[in-house]
Amino acid sequence: MELFRHFAEWIGSTALNEWLGENAWIIPISQSIHIVCLAVVFGSATVISLQLLGIGRAGRSTSQTANTLVPWMYRALFLLLVTGTLQTIAEPVRQLVTPEFIWKLVLIIGVLAMTIIFSRSVRRSPAAWDSPATRPGAAKSFAVISLLMWTTIVVLGRLIGYTWAFYA
Amino acid sequence: MNLHAFLKALEATPLAAAVRGATPGWDWLFPIVETVHVIALALVFSSIVMLDLRLVGIASRESGVSRLSRELLPVTWTAFVVAAISGTILFISKATGYYADIRFKMKFVLMFLAGVNMLVFHKGIFQRVADWDISIPPPATARFAGAASLLLWTGIVFLGRYIGFYA
Repeated sequence: MELFRHFAEWIGSTALNEWLGENAWIIPISQSIHIVCLAVVFGSATVISLQLLGIGRAGRSTSQTANTLVPWMYRALFLLLVTGTLQTIAEPVRQLVTPEFIWKLVLIIGVLAMTIIFSRSVRRSPAAWDSPATRPGAAKSFAVISLLMWTTIVVLGRLIGYTWAFYA
Repeated sequence: MNLHAFLKALEATPLAAAVRGATPGWDWLFPIVETVHVIALALVFSSIVMLDLRLVGIASRESGVSRLSRELLPVTWTAFVVAAISGTILFISKATGYYADIRFKMKFVLMFLAGVNMLVFHKGIFQRVADWDISIPPPATARFAGAASLLLWTGIVFLGRYIGFYA
C-alpha cells in the first residue's frame, strides 16, 4: 500500500489536482454523472441476468436483449471511467489508499471480461443463446455471478467514501 | 405540534441517532442504508429509462410498449418502495437539516412532477395503447411523456447526489 500512497501523494501535487480543487463545482457534477451511469450499467446487467434466469422477456430473445443493452453498458462504463478518473485525481488519497478501491477495480476488470466474452459469444451464435436448451451451460452461472459482482462493485464504491478516513 | 417540532422529534428517535452515527458502535449504519438506497435508485432509474427510451422511440423498438411496461413496472415499484424506505431512514437522521436544504425541496418537487407526468400518461394516451403498441414513432404525447420523465428523473438523481454533498 506504501506504493499507492506515494502515487496518491504525487497526484495530489499535480496542477490538474489543484485545478479541480479551485473549481469545486466539477466533482459534484462528475459524481452525479457517475451515479446515473452506474444505474445504466447495473440496470442493464440486471435485465440481462434475469432473462438468462428465465425471468421477464418483453417479447425479445436473449440475443436481442444483449445486443441492445451491452453497447449501452460499454458507453456508460466509458463515462464511469472518465468521471471516476477525474474524482481520483481530485481526491487521490481518498481513493487510492483504500483496499475497497483496489478490490473494486479488480472486480470491474473481471466482470467486464466476462461481459465481453458473453457478448461476443451471443453475437457469434445468437440462435444457440436464444433457446434455453442449446444455451451454454455456464449461462446461469454467468447471470448469478456477474450480478453479484456488480452489486459488490456498487457497495465497495459507496463504502470508499466512508472507509478512506481510517486508512489515510 | 408544528412541523419543526415534528422533525426535531424524528431526529430524537433512537433509530435516527443510530443512523446519524451518534450511537457508539452503530456508525456503519448510515453507509449501509445509503448503499441500499443507491442500489434501489439504480434499479428505479434504469427501469424508468428503458421504458422512457421506448416511449421516445429510440430503443427497444421491437418490444410492444404494453408488454415492456408490464415487465418493467414491477421492478420499478419494488425498487421504489426500497428507495423510499431507505430514503426515509436517511432523512430522519438529520430531518431538520435536510428539510432546510433547497436541493432536498427541489428533488421532491421534481418527483411530484414526475408523478403527475406518469399519471397524465396513464390516464391519457396509455388508455389507448392497443392502437400504438408497436408504432414507430410512438404518438407525440407518448414521446413527450418519455422525454419529460427522462429529464425529471435525471434531475432527481443529480439533486440526490448534491444533497449528500452539502447537507
